Amino acid sequence: MALSPYIDAFADYLRTGDARGMNDFCVNAEHMKRLSVYRNGFYKGCVDALAANFPVCEKLIGRETFKRIACVYVDHFPPGQGTLVGYGQRFPGFLSDFIAAIEAPPETVTLSPALVDLARLDYAWLTSLMSADATQTLTAEKISWLVEGGHDFTQAVVTLNTSVVLLRVNPGTLNQWIGLKTDSGIAEPVENSAVEEELHSISELTRADSAVAVDTVMFWRVQGAVQARSLSAPEIALMATLQGEGGILERAFDAALAVDPDFDVSDVFSACLQNEILEIDMAKYNDKH
Amino acid sequence: MEWVLLKVHECNPPRQSLIAGAHLGAGLGLKAEHLDDILALPVEEAICTGNSLWFEVHTENYFVAGGPRLNYLRSIRENYDLSFHGVGGSLGYDHQSMPEHIQQVKALINEFQPTLISEHAVWSRSGGAYFADLMPLPRTRDALQSLVEGIDRYQSGIGRRILIENPTNYLDFISEMDEPQFLVEAAQRSGCGLLIDINNLYLSSKNTGIDATEYLSQIPAELVGEIHMAGYDPDPELGQALLIDSHAADIDGPVWALLEHALSLFGHRPVLIERDANIPPFAELMRERQTAQGYLDQCSGHTAVANGFQKEAR
Repeated sequence: MALSPYIDAFADYLRTGDARGMNDFCVNAEHMKRLSVYRNGFYKGCVDALAANFPVCEKLIGRETFKRIACVYVDHFPPGQGTLVGYGQRFPGFLSDFIAAIEAPPETVTLSPALVDLARLDYAWLTSLMSADATQTLTAEKISWLVEGGHDFTQAVVTLNTSVVLLRVNPGTLNQWIGLKTDSGIAEPVENSAVEEELHSISELTRADSAVAVDTVMFWRVQGAVQARSLSAPEIALMATLQGEGGILERAFDAALAVDPDFDVSDVFSACLQNEILEIDMAKYNDKH
Repeated sequence: MEWVLLKVHECNPPRQSLIAGAHLGAGLGLKAEHLDDILALPVEEAICTGNSLWFEVHTENYFVAGGPRLNYLRSIRENYDLSFHGVGGSLGYDHQSMPEHIQQVKALINEFQPTLISEHAVWSRSGGAYFADLMPLPRTRDALQSLVEGIDRYQSGIGRRILIENPTNYLDFISEMDEPQFLVEAAQRSGCGLLIDINNLYLSSKNTGIDATEYLSQIPAELVGEIHMAGYDPDPELGQALLIDSHAADIDGPVWALLEHALSLFGHRPVLIERDANIPPFAELMRERQTAQGYLDQCSGHTAVANGFQKEAR
């Protein structure tokens, strides 16, 4: 017996619940209903993974509602890799479509539009948590070393470390997310406005229409724990210069001061060092010594 | 949390051997909630005596670029042997996306040097979808060929021999051979070993009517590199007519009895206590682990198989 027809029929059953294709492969027709063990296991594994990856969403809408929505997501976007780590990358976008769909009659279920932003925050937190460990963290010691070597450290090219994740959300959503995440009370969310769903480059964020009220949130990991905070406009400008391939520190400082001449650059720079947010490639300096 | 730095074992077990865990006793599935308890354990002094505590992890749970999850595992590896147990390799079918998967497994193996590496004789991927559970293969020549190819690719990719685990059977599919024949031929053709899950075997015997004792008698001892033990639950609808491999309950008496019989046939082998749901306090799992260790000690004491096993491993 060839394997492929069996696998095709089994996969079809797992995706649709229609077991008729398995008739030819099961020895005892009375045992066909036992196939549900495998389908239940598939859905349970995926739904549990989504619940683990989107814990604040689950907390907001409750286990049963989350499970129902998650099952629909699994139908549309089953895992593609042989792991459930990080499963749900498209879940925030899916939720947006799902909420729009159920707003149309005759659906009676309503979900908070804030759920989409909460899902994006959940996934950003997860992305930061699982990101690569920093290997070239810029520290006060490295700066001292550069200064002692006669280098102007403000001319050094610096990048954001890989755990830094930036995204825009509706005002108040971060507080709501933190409240749910830490069980410290739920801040009231502000009404949803047209916030784009993807993670953004900060350059885009700084050019964003100021008429649309949004918060720019930064996640980063330090000492194994993920941190989160809203960025001010000059902080956004500073980070924008250092994003991607990185930038010269002085230009980052200038960009921040252009937004707010009273901005305390040294204060924020110290905080960046303490939080191990910045990276520097010391190789070119070592070569010159 | 305070990090505890302790001396790393220097047992130097035969890591490339088919049966690589001669010094391992009973082990536990590693759970994040037990990390502090594990790190607080005194370091074992006795090694290479067949009673070392060890831990098994699901390999794919560590497919991350960095962060605390890997650091936790590093802290455990400082003092204990590890076993990497794959659940997403889909050895039985759809090998096209295997290289990327294997690359991640190999990177983990290179860093953590697990003593044991295992996977399942099942499929879980088809048509670009991963079905996130252990799907049964029909025991046919075509399926056997596909499984052997999958094992070959996996072993070649990671540069190590693996063990493959017998599945839990809930119903019978069309087959051309029984399960021991299927697994033994897969092992002999691919050069892999076998991981015998005693709970899976017990449930298969209850669900499909096979004779577990007869099954074990068909497995050559030299192929067996690890044994799994776990608890089960009755199906919510069908009750005792269908027993589910839940890993959510204590190990049942008949499963312990079957372990004792398996050890009498195979000799001393690393025995793992699996618990993946309804997880009890660490001390409770350690009591189950101690029961398993008792069976291993009894096996070694009565039959002196452990010595023979070490020779075999060389």
